[in-house]
Amino acid sequence: MRTLTLVLIAVTLFAAGIREATAHHSFAPFNMEAEKTISGTIKKFDWTNPHTWIWLDVAGDNGKVETWGIEGMSPNYLGRRGWTKNSLKPGDKVSIVVRPMRDGSPGGMFVRATLADGRELRQSGQAVD
Amino acid sequence: MRSTPIYFLAPVAAVLVMLTELPATAQTAAAKTAPTAADWSALAKLPDFSGVWEIGPGGGGGRGRGAAPQGPSLTPAAAAKRKELQSLGREDNATANCVPPGMPGIMGQPYPMEFLLTPGKVTIVIEAYTQVRHIYTDGRPLPEDPDLKFHGTSIGRWEGNALVVDTIGFSPLTDLVANVPHGDKMRIRERFTLTGPDTMSIETTVTDPDVLTAPYTTTRTLQRHRSWTIAEYVCQENNRNFVDEKGKAGIRLDDPAGASRK
Repeated sequence: MRTLTLVLIAVTLFAAGIREATAHHSFAPFNMEAEKTISGTIKKFDWTNPHTWIWLDVAGDNGKVETWGIEGMSPNYLGRRGWTKNSLKPGDKVSIVVRPMRDGSPGGMFVRATLADGRELRQSGQAVD
Repeated sequence: MRSTPIYFLAPVAAVLVMLTELPATAQTAAAKTAPTAADWSALAKLPDFSGVWEIGPGGGGGRGRGAAPQGPSLTPAAAAKRKELQSLGREDNATANCVPPGMPGIMGQPYPMEFLLTPGKVTIVIEAYTQVRHIYTDGRPLPEDPDLKFHGTSIGRWEGNALVVDTIGFSPLTDLVANVPHGDKMRIRERFTLTGPDTMSIETTVTDPDVLTAPYTTTRTLQRHRSWTIAEYVCQENNRNFVDEKGKAGIRLDDPAGASRK
């Protein structure tokens, strides 16, 4: 069963065009079988190697703000797929789907994001010339 | 014919001796002689490898995916070693800590590379981990006792339209494939061939008498992107991934020193 799950994950990732993360590190810290949607305000967007990092301020039920760290693919990879360093700006309201960290820390791996104006950001797809 | 004074013949004899010795010293001579205009123009007759290339969709990227589904055929000792390493349950390898994979893994990254042809040399600029391979095509032989390097030591030659590269002398820190350390005698032969206006095939054959029972061949297809440039990739810029000595993988969510100061 575990083997089947791993195969399904591999097939899904391949279909989604997710190759970059396999090159630099494994998925071990993330729960690749779970998806979690978090909404908040962009605090900072690191357009850096080997990964981009989105820092998202998320208000909890108690009103306390917690900053989530969301790992994305590299600027090199995303830059060839339509992203720029300005794709996310501090203050942007955004809803992000992540593969959450296994240890429960406020972090995850980026899957897709939807901005207030309806614009959607993904990191899969073919590179463009 | 008039007789020639012996003192006049002396320099001629010296040149003759030098010419006779040339084959033995050609490698150093080639490396130390300035390229001529003819050397530069001869490059125009070679296949056009210019521009930036990346493994295309389904072209065999990542950790061998699509390249050789069966994987290498291992000797009993290497198979036992792989089983032992797998049983440790390591979650990641040193690339998570920004250590480059070395050969052959560096040629399978999902990042582009650029080929630079100059007289007597092909240089491959690899975006991933900011790596460079130096392939000498000036006729020098492979060294007999090379220092051990992540990319080994490479020489190349042109066979028709193919660039054929032989590489030996690999660092013990590199793997043949995941969980398969290479032996001292690993040898890699690569054939780079243009297969279309903007496609290139790289056939890679690994031989390793201590590890493999048969040559391990994989083929990758690269796509040329003329408008692209090689981007900077400083892995230490903001690396929050890590793997510890026991193979436990993790992520630092705090702001490590040196990370993206703003």
